[in-house]
Amino acid sequence: MAIAKHLGFNERIGIGSLALLPKDHLYDFVDQLMEEFVVVGPVAKGSEFVFSEIRDPEQVRLDYETTILPPKKVLHRPFQTLFSFREDGGITEEERINKRQVLFGVHPCDVHAISILDKAYGSEYPDPYYMAHREQTLIIALNCTQVGKNCFCHSLDTGPSLKEGYDLLLTDLGCSYLVEVGSESGTGIVERTGLALAPRVKMVEKEKRLDNARKKFRKRLLTQGLHELLEENFRHPIWEELIKSCLACGSCTMVCPTCFCYNVVDKIDLSLKSGRRQREWDSCMLLEYAQVALGHNFRRDRDARIKQRIYHKLLYYEPQFGTLGCVGCGRCISACVKKIDITEIIVRMRGE
Amino acid sequence: MLNPFRPEPAVIKEIKKETHDTTTYTLTFKDANIQADYFFQPGQFNMITIFGIGEAPISISSDPDNRSSFQHTVRHVGNVTNKLATLQEGAIVGVRGPYGTGWPIDLMQGKNVLIVAGGIGLAPLRPVILHLIKHRAEFGKVEILYGARTPNDMLYTDQYADWSRQDRFRVLFTVDRITGDRQWPHRVGVVTTLFQEMESTPENTLVLTCGPEIMMQFVVKNLLQRGFNQQQIYVSLERRMNCGVRKCGKCQIGPKFVCRDGPVFALAELAALPEETLGGVAIE
Ligand SMILES: Cc1cc2nc3c(=O)[nH]c(=O)nc-3n(C[C@H](O)[C@H](O)[C@H](O)COP(=O)(O)OP(=O)(O)OC[C@H]3O[C@@H](n4cnc5c(N)ncnc54)[C@H](O)[C@@H]3O)c2cc1C
Ligand code: SF4
Ligand code: SF4
Ligand code: FES
Repeated sequence: MAIAKHLGFNERIGIGSLALLPKDHLYDFVDQLMEEFVVVGPVAKGSEFVFSEIRDPEQVRLDYETTILPPKKVLHRPFQTLFSFREDGGITEEERINKRQVLFGVHPCDVHAISILDKAYGSEYPDPYYMAHREQTLIIALNCTQVGKNCFCHSLDTGPSLKEGYDLLLTDLGCSYLVEVGSESGTGIVERTGLALAPRVKMVEKEKRLDNARKKFRKRLLTQGLHELLEENFRHPIWEELIKSCLACGSCTMVCPTCFCYNVVDKIDLSLKSGRRQREWDSCMLLEYAQVALGHNFRRDRDARIKQRIYHKLLYYEPQFGTLGCVGCGRCISACVKKIDITEIIVRMRGE
Repeated sequence: MLNPFRPEPAVIKEIKKETHDTTTYTLTFKDANIQADYFFQPGQFNMITIFGIGEAPISISSDPDNRSSFQHTVRHVGNVTNKLATLQEGAIVGVRGPYGTGWPIDLMQGKNVLIVAGGIGLAPLRPVILHLIKHRAEFGKVEILYGARTPNDMLYTDQYADWSRQDRFRVLFTVDRITGDRQWPHRVGVVTTLFQEMESTPENTLVLTCGPEIMMQFVVKNLLQRGFNQQQIYVSLERRMNCGVRKCGKCQIGPKFVCRDGPVFALAELAALPEETLGGVAIE
């Protein structure tokens, strides 16, 4: 642990320390990070935002509400080659040595989602491709002082503020970002970038801003009695209505930060003597998902597929991973052309 | 880090045609050390790769005590399984496993065993039958009910004589229909018709069943009516599987991953789930 001498007093920087990043130093800070890491952060794309590798620090936009896809895409890649093979069974595994990367400006809901993916891919038979990316990844998170129109993390306790799962955590205090240190790696970054330490009272200001944000939420998903509610309403009329409107296009799962399903395909090279095995994101909303040989399908009915998504997120993640499968990011609501809204489904079931 | 998705090369040592669309393959891992370390529980499955085509979950159908090779009995129905049908002895396939839960061999100790199989569903039960024969004294009465579409669709026909000859073993057959003017000394009708002549009772008995899901639904319903309970009936389920190790999500039913929590389940484990979640096979 180092001593911050530049402040003129001796305070140790470590986990739990506070520092300040003045807004006019943001780009310098990102620039410094880029010397050490691949930096992936929110950038503008048309009128929306996406996570993208930062080439120029000035691309970074910390004023975003939500991104189209979650940062999951750099950990569980939409397409991932597993290995190459030859006809005789010879296998060459994909190189799994990646440069260290920083996920920059990640909102609390997405950090929570990553910790769920860590459980899904990290437990028993750990997934070597996800783990290789994950182990090389630092998270610089950003508490939400802005609230998107479809956000409801406050009712799931996955936002707008974050308690754990970060290396550094930023909060917008107006002229500067408060920086909370969450790990040894985070400590190292604060030291190397020479951020000034901040006094404890800054936490009061942080809480004030977050309380202000909490008042802005327009949606909520109450978790009290949720399991019983879902178990009792497997045949609620809402499902009939959803079959009529849902297109079963899979957009809702493609944008979801906690969805982990994938499909596997073999691609043969032109020589026909070698090829690659590749996996790609899949969706339980698609007809082919549960299809097996001879045209049998375990979830042919759209009804069954709609229920699979909602019940998986709100009921089955709990026994599987010890946590709810929805982090309240609202992306599935934004992505749905038919405006199907997971919070609305629960409101209807509760008969509110 | 070990890569659970990496298949190991295995050599096809022997090919035996069971029926017009089903074949039993005897395999050994190319690497002798891997073969020496490999063992499985009756009821477990492997992921079988045909490089360039894909992977399919296939139950292990051989004697678990045989450590020098293992067998798969495969019905040729699609891309991977049809390509397999074109391979010759000496060809290489990829294998990884074993995965999933096995039949409750430990709980079966000292108990009577009723086995109800339909079609290819006899494959994952053959390791149990071979185990019961080898360790005969550890188990009570054994009754095997097997149903197939026609007499020509029956698996392991050359072994029935040996099974029937065993002490306190009873083997009953039925087919859905008889083709041509073939002599058929057994029953005609779905597998549940064999319940009429079955001797097994709920008392001190465990039931193991595998076959098309629609068959298992009838079997289960019928057994429950006959006084068997959900704790003593075990079913082996089939689902789409792309990983076998609880990662790809494909095989989920309710909170269960069939590849890991199953494929063998005590009926009681599934009973709490709404019927739609189980999604019994819809055939079109
Ligand atoms: C636990 C388990 C044990 C099995 N044991 C046996 C066995 O001992 N013998 C046997 O003949 N068959 C068995 N099956 C069924 C076998 O897996 C399918 O027949 C096989 O996957 C068909 O693959 P295909 O490429 O030939 O067919 P295709 O229809 O071309 O397959 C296309 C895709 O669907 C998937 N798929 C198709 N059918 C199934 C299926 N039924 N289950 C899971 N995924 C499927 C394939 O993996 C592939 O990705 C078992 C299935 C499971 C789940
Ligand atoms: S279910 Fe919808 S709101 Fe919940 S985490 Fe997934 S995309 Fe976000
Ligand atoms: S089953 Fe559906 S909702 Fe659940 S993780 Fe997979 S795609 Fe997402
Ligand atoms: S087969 Fe992939 S999760 Fe079960």
